Amino acid sequence: MTATTTQLAAPAIRRPRTVLVGTMFASGAALMTYFGVLAVYVSERAAARDAGEEWFPEGVIELGPSGWIFWTLVLAAFTVQWAVQAIRNDDRPNAYIALALTGMFGAAVFNQLWFIINDTGFALAGTQGQFLFFVMTGTYIVFLIGAVVFLALTTMRALFGQFGPSQDDGVAAAAMFWHAVSVMYWVTWIAIFVTK
Amino acid sequence: MTMTESPPSEAAESSAAPLPAVGGLYDWLTTSDHKAIGRIWLRFGALSLLFFSVIGVLISFERLDADAIDVFGGVNSYFQMWSLYRFGIVLMVAIPLFVGLATVITPMQVGSTNIAFPRAALAAAWGYVLGSLITVISVLSGGGWGALDGVSGDEADAIRLTLLGTGMVMVSIILGTICVVTTVVSLRTSGMGLTKVPLFAWSMLVAGSVWVLTLPVAIANIAILYIDLSGGAGLFVGAPNPSFDVYAQLAWILDQPAVYAAAVPVLGVAGSIIPVVAKGRQVSHEAMMILIGLAGLLAIGGWSQPFFGDERDTLVYIAFGVAALVPVLASLGGNGATLIAGEAPVGIPPAHMIGALGSMLLFLAATAAGALRVIDPLDLIGTTADTGVLNLVAVAAILGALGGWWFWAPKTDGRLFSGIQGLGAMTFLLLGGVLLGATDVIAGFVDTPDVLLASADDSLGDAMIVLSMIGSIVVLLGVLGALGAISLAYVKPGEADDDPWGGHTLEWATATPPPVGNFAEPPARVRSEAPLLDETPGDEGGES
Repeated sequence: MTATTTQLAAPAIRRPRTVLVGTMFASGAALMTYFGVLAVYVSERAAARDAGEEWFPEGVIELGPSGWIFWTLVLAAFTVQWAVQAIRNDDRPNAYIALALTGMFGAAVFNQLWFIINDTGFALAGTQGQFLFFVMTGTYIVFLIGAVVFLALTTMRALFGQFGPSQDDGVAAAAMFWHAVSVMYWVTWIAIFVTK
Repeated sequence: MTMTESPPSEAAESSAAPLPAVGGLYDWLTTSDHKAIGRIWLRFGALSLLFFSVIGVLISFERLDADAIDVFGGVNSYFQMWSLYRFGIVLMVAIPLFVGLATVITPMQVGSTNIAFPRAALAAAWGYVLGSLITVISVLSGGGWGALDGVSGDEADAIRLTLLGTGMVMVSIILGTICVVTTVVSLRTSGMGLTKVPLFAWSMLVAGSVWVLTLPVAIANIAILYIDLSGGAGLFVGAPNPSFDVYAQLAWILDQPAVYAAAVPVLGVAGSIIPVVAKGRQVSHEAMMILIGLAGLLAIGGWSQPFFGDERDTLVYIAFGVAALVPVLASLGGNGATLIAGEAPVGIPPAHMIGALGSMLLFLAATAAGALRVIDPLDLIGTTADTGVLNLVAVAAILGALGGWWFWAPKTDGRLFSGIQGLGAMTFLLLGGVLLGATDVIAGFVDTPDVLLASADDSLGDAMIVLSMIGSIVVLLGVLGALGAISLAYVKPGEADDDPWGGHTLEWATATPPPVGNFAEPPARVRSEAPLLDETPGDEGGES
């Protein structure tokens, strides 16, 4: 027969934040999915160049609009952290403003991406480069929508009185996923728009 | 001062609420109890195991004389079933069985009342069931992972459906795994640092992390292929009609090193069972954790996919192939040392011990065959050695999962499974796995091609294919025996104690069957990896 005992009082368990840990793994999976597509893009582009083929016609991919997205996401990284800090300080008005601003930046990024897709005039059934560009941007938009929805749910829960100084993990988790989606774009910006 | 006056199992028994009935469809669709959710994975995984074992026998029968025998009715149908078997045995059987086992056991092992995100875990379980059904039905409707002989438009639609089903299974595995690994990271009981986590929970954390980071890369491949089929120019799927390219772009998940990830939990199952059988502690718990971690690290394989060129002749691929042998061999050695240091079982060994040791031996054989396969002068890549490694890994994982299921049956199903029937089934699976895998590896040495569309022109190759077919039949018999024993346990349920084996970890401190919430009272502060071996009332000091 087995038995357990202890001479010490079992202290109250301070658990690591479950939502945050789960989101960390989910963010890892999301990043690997996106970078899986990006890696195919980069390797196919390298193969095309090695074969002396043109990947995109000169001037089709412009740096300007994609750079606006880059800086929009930099701003959003600050606002989403502002929301986390505000929740930790129990400063709810600031948290609402920061969350709303971040969501607005997300909508702006979506708008800018849509503009880029239309501006390039690429076709899904076009060249390998055009096809992979569509897959990349489409995959990114899916994750961006996911991040905005996560943020919206978090905002609604905050509005209904959840989260606070001792329980900020929901907002921190939404911020973590937001940062992961931002990282996706920043890497893409360098890999596609800067190096073309 | 806190003192548990009675052993947790007794305390739990006296105050535990009866296990709520989970029988109606509504209950199955809405339960948030991790044990019921785990049983969905386990039961559908068991049915899938039976289905894919039968497919395996049919394929091996067709391979006997590919020119004369036509089991499936054509070269495309053969290829569809051949690829269905390979994806199914790994993604719909081996990994789901471990996810199911972990969904039931790991929360209890770490002293938690439930799994993290139970509703997500339930969605994952049903997503797996639905995704598997979509995949199988689409393949039977003419889909699959491409074709060898061109396909019609309808079949191209079915191929898209297969890709959708496969992706759904992968997403479900990722979601279910996130729930398990988050439980291990976040919901451990007081005093249980990561180094004190039981080895099965640790192996699920390692393997789960690898799955969570590897399967998304395959999902990215699937997304590209799916979109290419849907509106693209067919640049990646073999224009104008889907071809072998579809399978080729995804096959890396069934190839080493990625396929090894399916069997990493085997090391944890054995690491949990062997010390209990030996009635002693694991000789070096931390060393075993490091070995399991290393095995997981060497099973990361997204980089070896064909989209990135042929990585299979690079030094990294060879190094991964050879190095994978080391942690499995060392882990087997560690468990052997634990058995020698403890009390060796007298008489007939328990079924779960055969399952644990047999699965480790098969995993060792798989990594040994894999190490040979990457040696360039042997020229084994593209031969039946590919299938040999896959089958060794798959049967290792299945045997390990069944061994674990036998061991933890009082907690998963609230009853004991027959030891004798289990012993027979495990022995058949072990022997069948060796025959099935080793013969294909040997046939690879005489250049027998992997996708066998014509009879081998070598007598040794022919003989090995016959033996491989016998192996697949022996595996099927083992599967039938195991599932028969599990079914029988439901027809004639026997009494099961709370802790029939003298377990060391917290799941054995729960009642049988465990109530909702698992523990009648929070477990006492954990001080080692085997809390139930720690000091009893009146002891001084105790082990650590």
